[in-house]
Amino acid sequence: MKVQPGLSVVYDSTRRGSAVFEELREILNYRHLIWQLVRRDILTRYKRSFLGVAWTMLNPLGMMLVWTIAFSQVFKLSDMPSYPSFVLNGLLAWTFFSQTTTAAMVNLVWGGGLLNRIYIPRVSFALAAVGTGLVNLLLSLVPLVVVMLVTGMPIQWTFIFVPVSILILCAFALGVGLLISTWAVYFPDITEMYQILLTAWMFLTPIMYPEEFLPQAYRVYITSLNPMYHMVKLFRIPIYFGRFPTLMEFLIPLSIAVVVLVIGWVVFARKSDEFAYRI
Amino acid sequence: MPEKPIASAAGQTIIQMENVSVEYRVPQEQIGTFKEYMIRLVQGKVKHRIFNALNGVSLSVDQGEVFGLIGQNGAGKSTLLKLVARVLRPTHGRVLVMGHVAPLLEVGAGFHPELTGRENVFLNGAMLGFSHDEMEEKFPRIVEFSELGDFIDAPLRTYSSGMSARLGFAVATDSQPDILIVDEILSVGDEAFQHKSFECIQSIKAKGATILLVSHTMSTIETICQRAAWLHHGKIVSVGNSIEVVDRYLGRIYDEETKHLIEKSHRGFHPQEGKDSIEISQVKILNQQNNEQLIFHTGEPMQVQIEYRARQPIDSLEIGFAIHRQDGVHITGPNTAFDGLEIKAEPGSGGVVYSIPSLSLLEGLYNVTVALVNRDGNIILDYHDRMHSFRVENRGHNVTERYGLMTLSGEWRLL
Repeated sequence: MKVQPGLSVVYDSTRRGSAVFEELREILNYRHLIWQLVRRDILTRYKRSFLGVAWTMLNPLGMMLVWTIAFSQVFKLSDMPSYPSFVLNGLLAWTFFSQTTTAAMVNLVWGGGLLNRIYIPRVSFALAAVGTGLVNLLLSLVPLVVVMLVTGMPIQWTFIFVPVSILILCAFALGVGLLISTWAVYFPDITEMYQILLTAWMFLTPIMYPEEFLPQAYRVYITSLNPMYHMVKLFRIPIYFGRFPTLMEFLIPLSIAVVVLVIGWVVFARKSDEFAYRI
Repeated sequence: MPEKPIASAAGQTIIQMENVSVEYRVPQEQIGTFKEYMIRLVQGKVKHRIFNALNGVSLSVDQGEVFGLIGQNGAGKSTLLKLVARVLRPTHGRVLVMGHVAPLLEVGAGFHPELTGRENVFLNGAMLGFSHDEMEEKFPRIVEFSELGDFIDAPLRTYSSGMSARLGFAVATDSQPDILIVDEILSVGDEAFQHKSFECIQSIKAKGATILLVSHTMSTIETICQRAAWLHHGKIVSVGNSIEVVDRYLGRIYDEETKHLIEKSHRGFHPQEGKDSIEISQVKILNQQNNEQLIFHTGEPMQVQIEYRARQPIDSLEIGFAIHRQDGVHITGPNTAFDGLEIKAEPGSGGVVYSIPSLSLLEGLYNVTVALVNRDGNIILDYHDRMHSFRVENRGHNVTERYGLMTLSGEWRLL
C-alpha cells in the first residue's frame, strides 16, 4: 500500500528486528513506565500500614534478631565478630534476590490483564521488580550500618565497592526473574514451587552460618556450585569483611550474572510474543 | 471470504489488515502442572491442536471513523483488537497501524485500587508511553474532564464504577491517540454514565481520532459507528455500513431462532392414533407465496393452513385458532363458525386456510393454538395448545409504529 503523507507507519507487523534487541530498544522508550511501576509497588505495599516505608528497614532487623537468637544457641559464635552484622549483611542480599525474582514472576502473571490490552515491553514487570527491590535494598543498608556501628564493627572505606556488588546482584536477579517468569506463564504451579525452592536454597547458602561451618567433604558443592554463594559473598566482602574482593571473587559472580542475564533475556524475549495467548 | 473493504470517500487508511491469521496452539488436554508436562514431554505425549482465532481477515479502517466489531463470543473480536494494539502478532498476513494506539483502561488493567486517582493518572500515562513531565502538563485537563474534583486524591477503591470509568476516559482522551480501542466498556455503568461515554466518544472523534469499538449492544453500534464488521469463527462475514451489518447479523441470529422455532413447532406433533374421530395432522404458517415462514413484518400477508385427518364423517366441524402473545395475552381467535364456513368432514384428509391480507401485529413472538370442535354438543375433538409460533420483526421494513401490540392501520387527516 501507498503510505500517505502526514501519517507515518508506526507499526508494521511484518517488519521486525530480533525480539531480543527490540525488547531492549523499547525498554528505553518506556523508562518512565518502569519508574511508575516501581513507585506503584512501593506506595501500595505500605499504603495501609502506620509505619509505612519504615518497615523496609524494620523487616530485616527483625529477621536478624530472630536468626541471632536462634543460632547463637546452635553455633559457637564466640569466634565471630558481630554475628548480627554478618547475618544482616547476608540476609539483605538474599532478601533482595528472593523478593525480586518472586515479584518479577507474580507481576507478569497477574499483570496479564494489562499485557492483553496495551503494548508495553514485557520486561517492564521484571525490571520494575528489580527497581523495587533495589529501593528496598538501599533503604535497608541504613539499619545494617547502624547494627555494625552498635556492635563495634568498623565501616571500612571498601564500602565504595558496594554499588558494584549490588549491580552484579541485580543482573543475576533479573536473569533468574526473567527465566522463572517465562516458565510461570506456562505452568502456574511454578509460583508455588519456587517458594519451596527458595527456602531450601537459602539454607544451602551460607547466610546465617559462616561457610567454615560446612563439613569439608561437601563444602565445595554448596559453595562453588551455588551461584548465590558467590553473590552473597561479593556483597559481604566490602561491608562485613571490610576488604576488596580478589580478582576471582569478582570475576566469578560477574560472569555468572552476565551469563544468566543473557540467557534469561533471550529466553524471555523469544517467548514473549506468546504471552498474550497464555495469560 | 474476505470482502472488499468499502473505503469511505474521506480520510486515509489508518489500520490495514492484509489476509491476517492468528493461530493459537492449544494443548489437546489440560496440562496444569510442570511435573505432568515434563512426564508427557518425555513420553512425547504433548499434542497440540491449532486453533484459528482469526482466519484470513482483510480489513481497512479509515482515519476518523468509528468502526464497530460485532460477533458472538469467541468470534475473534478481541484478537483483532490485540493485533491493532500490538499485543499479538499475526501468525500470517500483515497488520499496518499508522498512528498511536491507546486502549480505554479500567480498574484491574492499568488502574490500581490502592493508589489515588492522581497516582493512577501518572501510572496510566506511563503505560501509554508518556513521561512524567508530559503528564504534568496534561493533568489539569484530565481532572477537569473527569469531573472528579477533590476525589482525585482519594484512593481509587473509594470510587464508583462510573467515576473510575470517567477517569479512564479522561486519560485516554487526553493522550490524543490516533486510534482509541474501546472494548465493551459502554455496557457498564448507569444510563447517565453511558450518555457521558457517548459524549466522550464523540469528543475524541471530533479531534480526528479513529475509534475501534467492540460491543454486544447492537443499538450502540448502530448509533455511533459508521461502519462495522461482523466476525464469525475468525472470519469476516460482512463489512460495511454499520446499520446494514447489524441487520445482517441479527438476521443470522433470527435464522437460528427460526430453525429453533420450526423444530419446536414440529415437536410433539405425532398424529395420535388414539384420537377416535379426527385429528389435526398439520399446521403451517405461510407467506403469500405459500411457503412456510416464521418471521413476518407488520403489514405482510400471512396464511394459516390447518389440515386434519378424519376417521369418521363429522357433519358440523368447526376449525379455529387463537393467537397469544408470548406473555399469554389472547389477541385474537378466528374460527370457521364465526365466518359461516360449513365443513362436513368425510373420512380422509382435509383442511382450511385462513388468509390475513395484512398482518396488524407489531414486533414480538406469538403463539398459535389450533382446535377442532364438533359443533354438535360443542366437543373439542383435537387441540394444539400454543404449539406453533411466529415472530414479527420490523427491522429493515418501513414500519414506524411500535407501541402496543398491533396497528389499527388507520389514517390521520387534518381537520
